Amino acid sequence: METPKRTPWRRWIVLVLMIAGFILGGIFVPVQPEIVVAAEKLIEEPIAENFLGLGPLYLVNTLPTLAVTLVLLVVIAFATNRSLKKSQQTDMVPRGIGNLMEAILEMLYNLTEGSAGPKYARMIFPWFATIMVYVLFANLLKLIPGFESVGVLHHAHGEGHTIAELGGGWANLLPEKVEEGGYVLAPFFRGISVDLNFTVSLAIIAVVMIQVVGFRAQGLGYLSKFFNTRRMFKVPFFGAMDFLVGLLELISEISKILSFAFRLFGNMFAGIVLVAIVAGLLGKISILPAMVMMFELFVGIIQAFVFGMLTMVFMAQATQGHGEEHAEEHAVSAHEI
Amino acid sequence: MDGNILDAMRYVGAGLAMIGAAGAGVGIGLSVQGALTGMARNPDTYGNLLTNMILGIAFSEAIAIYCLVIAFLMLFKVV
Amino acid sequence: MEALGINLGLLIVQIIAFIIVFLTLNAWVYKPMLDMMETRKSKIAQGLEDARIAAEARADAEKESAKILANAQVEASKVVREATERAADAVKDVKASAESEAAKARETAIAEAELERNRILGDLRGQVAALAIAAANKLVGEALDEKKQHALLDEFFSGVKSGKVVILDDADFKGDSAEITSALPLTKDEEATVRKDVLSKVGAANVSFRVDPSILGGLVIKVGDKVMDGSVSGRLEGLRQNLK
Repeated sequence: METPKRTPWRRWIVLVLMIAGFILGGIFVPVQPEIVVAAEKLIEEPIAENFLGLGPLYLVNTLPTLAVTLVLLVVIAFATNRSLKKSQQTDMVPRGIGNLMEAILEMLYNLTEGSAGPKYARMIFPWFATIMVYVLFANLLKLIPGFESVGVLHHAHGEGHTIAELGGGWANLLPEKVEEGGYVLAPFFRGISVDLNFTVSLAIIAVVMIQVVGFRAQGLGYLSKFFNTRRMFKVPFFGAMDFLVGLLELISEISKILSFAFRLFGNMFAGIVLVAIVAGLLGKISILPAMVMMFELFVGIIQAFVFGMLTMVFMAQATQGHGEEHAEEHAVSAHEI
Repeated sequence: MDGNILDAMRYVGAGLAMIGAAGAGVGIGLSVQGALTGMARNPDTYGNLLTNMILGIAFSEAIAIYCLVIAFLMLFKVV
Repeated sequence: MEALGINLGLLIVQIIAFIIVFLTLNAWVYKPMLDMMETRKSKIAQGLEDARIAAEARADAEKESAKILANAQVEASKVVREATERAADAVKDVKASAESEAAKARETAIAEAELERNRILGDLRGQVAALAIAAANKLVGEALDEKKQHALLDEFFSGVKSGKVVILDDADFKGDSAEITSALPLTKDEEATVRKDVLSKVGAANVSFRVDPSILGGLVIKVGDKVMDGSVSGRLEGLRQNLK
């Protein structure tokens, strides 16, 4: 541990990569991409004209990323499963990927147990862990080189970039802009967390599951959180206030979807905008975008943790009765002030 | 430099809407400050404080997110 | 909504994707992992419980062994004490019997020695008398009557004159037992005479005889704490005192 094999040549790799970045940045000048909120369509025509009777489904560039993420997650799950099965036959101590997953998940489980208590931890934990792992993969996959930069060229509807043919059907986008007949890039892969469909679907699932956990923990008594008639007839004035507060809770549940979805989306979208603008502004100097990428790594991990943690905390609150929940909210508001 | 005044006002409105994020920033900073002080004084409460801190951050951040939503609505002509 | 890219079809695709991820992870990762963690926890708890039981059993065994040890020690100390006592008793017995035997042996030896001495002194008596008579003849120049001389000598040695103990003539005390000391062993007749006389005069039935050549002649009679000194040495001593 004290003196591992010194490998001084590794630091030269970094230097070589930096020089290569300079040179490549000089040859292929970074282009400030068109910043759009919606995922770009790879093919103009919809792949399903009337998908489930809801309207046309386009092949947007988050779908390939989604497929990659799914395959990756399923492969990892399978490998973990095999590792766990093997360890179960020997000494209950998994090796390799099973050990890694166990270390992460045990930490998450302890966190859940600390917040929700051992009674409901088993119920809440899968949602918490799944959301966290899924969001973590979605956030980190978009940092892979090639994402957001390699794709199909479309004819621009308005302002577009000129292109330089590279041969073999490949072309390089140039920074010069033209009014007519230009091209815009639609990357093959776009990070799925930079797609509102992903974040909104996750937020809907999280909020719905919070309600489900609440009902499973408290039965129909969970409804009294929203339609609070407990003190209505004893203390009419404060009872009415409680009822109104309960209705506000209903609104806050819906706004949870919004805040869940836009927190993740806003952070990730800001990330790609930052990288794109810094790269576009600096042009040939390509070191600073690398630093921004490192910051993106950090933000991606933090956001995944926050998304999962919030889901877990809301679920833990839903399992508790009304009184405790109120006390906790007061504590939180005291913190804010 | 040409374009219509409505587009210009949209950008201005989106930028103004994001001013609201300042309040959320202050709120997050204060809640983290309180939580960190508490953790420093009593490291045993780390887990409990962390949970409540993240909850508080989420609540104050929600305000900034409303600002972001409004800014998006203006920018992309959703309504 | 279209500008934000929210599309119901894509939303549903994403939800399905999430459900796939959830089911896969739940079935392949979480369930086995949580089960494993639980079994491991219970195994550890079982191990701890076993260890606790074992520790208890060991503590019990230690207590038991300590008790047994204490009992054994008490027993052993009792045995040792008994043995010591017995040995001490035996030693005491042996010593006492040895002492008594030794005392007996000594007494018999002393008695034998005394008897021997008395016998030798008795043998000497005749020779001493003959020597004394011869010396007197030489000194006086004339031979006394042989018989008379013998009577004189007997009187000198035995303190008995014509059947009476000389010194008892003016005795005024009584006693149960008397000890008679003479310079040379008395003859049987003399002893009988002394005995009779002592009985009549003093009233002492038990009469014992001793021989002590240092008194030179005559008799010393000891009755109780009274001593009648009729010995030659005593008389010489008195003479010396007077001459001083």
